[in-house]
Amino acid sequence: MELPLTMLKNGETGLITTTDIRSGGKDFCQARARKGWKKHFMTEMCVKRLTDLGLTPGTEIKVIKSAPFNGPLEVCVRGSTLAIGRGMAKRILVDVKR
Amino acid sequence: MSKPNFIIALAGNANVGKSVIFNQLTGLHQHIGNWPGKTVEKAEGTLHYKGYTIDFVDLPGIYSLSTFSMEELVSREYIATEKPDLVINVVDASLLERNLFFTLQLLELEAPLVVALNQIDMAKKKGIVIDSKKAEQILGVPVVPTVAVSGKGITEMLDIAIEVIQKNRATSPLKPRYGKELEDKIEALTEQLEGVDLKYPARWVALKLLEDDNEVKNDVTKLDPKLVKIAQKFRTALEDVHGHSCPTVVTSERYHLANQITMQIEEITKPVKTPMREKLHTVTTHKIFGYPILFATVIGVFIAIFSFGDFASALLGDFFFGLKPAFDSVLGTGIVGELVWGGIIEGIVGGITVALPYIVPFYFILYLFEDSGYLSRIAFLMDNLMHKMGLHGKAFIPVMLSFGCNVPGCLGCRIMETTRERLLTAFVVTLVPCAATSVIILGLVGNFVGIEWALALYVINLIIIFVLGRIAFKALPGEPTELIMEMSAYRAPHLTTVLQQTWFRLKEFIIMAFPLIIAGSFVIKLAEIANLLEPIANLSSPLTVTWLGLPAVTGIALIFGVLRKELTLIMLASLFGTTNFALVMTPAQMIVFTLVVMLYIPCVATIGALVKEFGWKKALLITVIEILLALLVGGIAFRLLTI
Repeated sequence: MELPLTMLKNGETGLITTTDIRSGGKDFCQARARKGWKKHFMTEMCVKRLTDLGLTPGTEIKVIKSAPFNGPLEVCVRGSTLAIGRGMAKRILVDVKR
Repeated sequence: MSKPNFIIALAGNANVGKSVIFNQLTGLHQHIGNWPGKTVEKAEGTLHYKGYTIDFVDLPGIYSLSTFSMEELVSREYIATEKPDLVINVVDASLLERNLFFTLQLLELEAPLVVALNQIDMAKKKGIVIDSKKAEQILGVPVVPTVAVSGKGITEMLDIAIEVIQKNRATSPLKPRYGKELEDKIEALTEQLEGVDLKYPARWVALKLLEDDNEVKNDVTKLDPKLVKIAQKFRTALEDVHGHSCPTVVTSERYHLANQITMQIEEITKPVKTPMREKLHTVTTHKIFGYPILFATVIGVFIAIFSFGDFASALLGDFFFGLKPAFDSVLGTGIVGELVWGGIIEGIVGGITVALPYIVPFYFILYLFEDSGYLSRIAFLMDNLMHKMGLHGKAFIPVMLSFGCNVPGCLGCRIMETTRERLLTAFVVTLVPCAATSVIILGLVGNFVGIEWALALYVINLIIIFVLGRIAFKALPGEPTELIMEMSAYRAPHLTTVLQQTWFRLKEFIIMAFPLIIAGSFVIKLAEIANLLEPIANLSSPLTVTWLGLPAVTGIALIFGVLRKELTLIMLASLFGTTNFALVMTPAQMIVFTLVVMLYIPCVATIGALVKEFGWKKALLITVIEILLALLVGGIAFRLLTI
């Protein structure tokens, strides 16, 4: 089942399906933009940074925990521990087996 | 026979021990400055080895050669255009895959390469064993295992580096090749690019065009706009096949290759046991324990620094002012003597008694934290709070620094990735009450009005910071970024590196701040001798007396505050002829005065730091905004308090 990264429980592992919500198809994108969902797209720069750090589609990602008060997520990707801002984590979709 | 000079660049991810290797190689023969026109730090150093003179350039720690941050841009431009004789790629053996992802990009840039497989001891503890011979076969360049902190493998690495530069060692660097669909497009584009005059290798440009790299796209558009259109067509085709954006496709393929190589050379056994550092990580980032530990640490550090600073500062001050009689007997107490003592020497003494006792331990502890990895945990815990003022977790570090002194705070803004974030953070940082401002808040308001008012002033200051941070966040053009940060494993800090960092920072501070403080003292002393201070105070009286409701002499004190903020209090005492301010100022006046001191113009050294980092225009803009803000807040406070 495909979920935003923020919906994963602590210690749960999933496979990244996309870090780039725009790739959900052009029409989908435009419809969202019309509804004022602009803030739900990641900036190209952030997508680039995430993929450069190893969060490419198909990669295994494990949520370790999140900082309190809606803070960033601590995740484990390709053996390294990363902190990812919550706003951005919301836009990373992962495939989880539940 | 003189041997030629070489230039070797060190490149690699952040936290791989690159700067430790750099320090091992160059020791104190370092020069730290900025890359021309950029607020990115450039560290250079020289080593004399076996008769060779080798210049080392420590490139910033980065994860890729795209254009996410200025560091990445600077690095790739340096490698491609300055063409160092060799690039030593420092690789973290325990995070091979992600590090090789960067190595692949260096190979694509066709940089002459030696790989330093660093921290192999740490990797072994994690149960990772790496076959460096096999790595060498696959990558086609020398791979040297090293342990930077103990200096193991460094001389071997140097010897091999020299062999490679002297062409005494054959290398056949791997040419990274990707999946068929992508490879076809790259080759087609590379063919088109042959013969076009580029500063980067053709295949690399082809890849970057497919990655939709703006910098490269602009360069190519100038030469042949047709090529960019072809690349665009290819990108769309690839996106249709893969269902992801083209930059993501390229990055995925590159990671796939890095993964394949890693699988061939790495063997993972079970780690011995959960190491201490992982437990430490769990506790220091814990949702309940993390914060008390953080606050205890920060407060502990501040108490330690200030008690040490007070002590050392008084000691140094006594020493220097003890020299005054001797000085007077040489130059006399006439105008010349007064000008030299009051204008120049007091400036220097002031600088020394402030800089050395506070800044040195400050930087030392900062680098201790950074090197050990605690700083990134602090950023992790504080991210949410910093979001409230339009920044992200990393910005907490310069802000925290600023409570000590705004200058390291401003310089510390370099840890933010984009120019936009840097400027925003710097703006917030200059509003933070530094140690000198705290002296006034506590010494004037705390002593004579009441400690609850002093605390109220801090709260007001924080509110102003949050509000203005948000406004600046909305007003500044550009895209906001969020926290994306590696939390590398805790490690024992490398003391020599920390001490060296402290020393270079101190040097930077002295070079930047001292001339400004001295020149400032001199000008003000000159004005004092020429009896200009009173006319200036009278001139500013519409603002100070009418608008802010303060005694006219505060105008003079505020002018002195530009040098160092604690001078406002010292000057006020000497102008009034008493340190019992309750006799000469009403509580409301003290509060207004302190508010103004807190917010108005950053001190001259901070302005210097702003100019250095952001240029005259932005420094001036921040200064003007803050003067206006101080007047506004002060005026409102005056009216509210006297109702």
